[in-house]
Amino acid sequence: MRFSGFILAIDSYLVRKGTVSLLSRIPDIRIIREFSAADSFRQYATRQDIDFLVISQSIFDQSSAVFVSHPGLLERTILLKEDSVSHLEIHNSIHLWEEKEVITAKIKRLIELHSSSLSTSGSSELTQREKTIVRLVSMGLTNRQIAEELFLSTHTVTTHRKNISSKLGIKSVSGITVYAIVNNIITIEEVTSKPSE
Amino acid sequence: MISRDMLMCVAVFENMQLLPLFPRFKMELGFGEKSVEEVCKTHGVNTDFFLEIANSYLDEAYIPGEGLSLFSLGTVISYLKETHTYYVETALPMVEEKIYLLLDQSSLSDKEVNLVTVFFNDYKLEFLTHILEEEQHILPYILELEKQSALKKPDSEFAQKLQSYSIREFEQGHDRLETSLEHLSRLIIKNLPPFEDFQLCQQVLGDLSDLVKDLTDHANMEDKILIPRVAELEKQLISRIDTP
Repeated sequence: MRFSGFILAIDSYLVRKGTVSLLSRIPDIRIIREFSAADSFRQYATRQDIDFLVISQSIFDQSSAVFVSHPGLLERTILLKEDSVSHLEIHNSIHLWEEKEVITAKIKRLIELHSSSLSTSGSSELTQREKTIVRLVSMGLTNRQIAEELFLSTHTVTTHRKNISSKLGIKSVSGITVYAIVNNIITIEEVTSKPSE
Repeated sequence: MISRDMLMCVAVFENMQLLPLFPRFKMELGFGEKSVEEVCKTHGVNTDFFLEIANSYLDEAYIPGEGLSLFSLGTVISYLKETHTYYVETALPMVEEKIYLLLDQSSLSDKEVNLVTVFFNDYKLEFLTHILEEEQHILPYILELEKQSALKKPDSEFAQKLQSYSIREFEQGHDRLETSLEHLSRLIIKNLPPFEDFQLCQQVLGDLSDLVKDLTDHANMEDKILIPRVAELEKQLISRIDTP
């Protein structure tokens, strides 16, 4: 499935519906949920991952906890600004009076920037770094050993592993190993004799 | 493409790949001179539903018509469940048995045997977990959604659940089960040393390829037919709750 999922958390009915209308004209965007109040949005966010978020200023002000529990979400969030002065530190914002073309371009750029790191696609190519990790996983190394080998933090390796699994649609070490063999990332001889953890 | 007036025996004779569908509809061979429609009626199967399923099964590019939205989600779901049963009780054990037979008779190294064995065991576990998740959570949720949508006043507890869950979440995490099987076929064709029993090897590859095709069709049915309808139903119900 190659689409970008959007959550809208906008209190104004007209602005929300306007945003829906604009987003639905951009290809490969799916609007997953719309929220008109901060509490229902926050409740949803406690249980679900969010790819992209468009949020109004007032709901944003009441939802700082969401951004703490979803690291990285702030970069994938578009804030709808109602006034020109804002004390908020956020990368992407849209002013309500901006032209349609400008808004569309901003949204497209945001998707381009992040869609490769989000894991909704089933057929994306692995990056070189990911291939290296696939190779080491197939050789039977643990995340900690891979981290030491590549001078990365274990946390970074875990993130790579998650991305690999969702890109390939494979979760098990043995599945990754067979993938690596048929794609010439490793030979059968190099594989550890027990491809399981 | 098969139609309601066709003789069922001709439809099957010309499209043998339809065969796995019959047990799912509890239909048996020996159709005589009955048309597709007559066979469906005899077995209490909705003819339009059967045609949609059969034609989308025959042609991956076949886009189900308006027709399919006429069926209750319950009908679609009981078909999906029959398909799950076929995978778990027939298709997977069958290919598994042949793979082990093939490994037993082979001159593969321990490492190679172990690679395939562990791979298949992990795959089976993943497969069963995937189907269990659908049967225990997703399908009951959809049935409940259909039931609640028909009510004048939806249950408040269910309305609450709708606030924090959408079928689109399931769609995003919906792994394709056929991918790993394709890797296994490629491993046999490309990377493993040749098997002595070529006939058996050919059967394994044939079974794997059939199963991949069936799983692709099954996933397309879930992603292209079931989920969009469920998402639409969720949307309607939510807008009803929001504007009482």
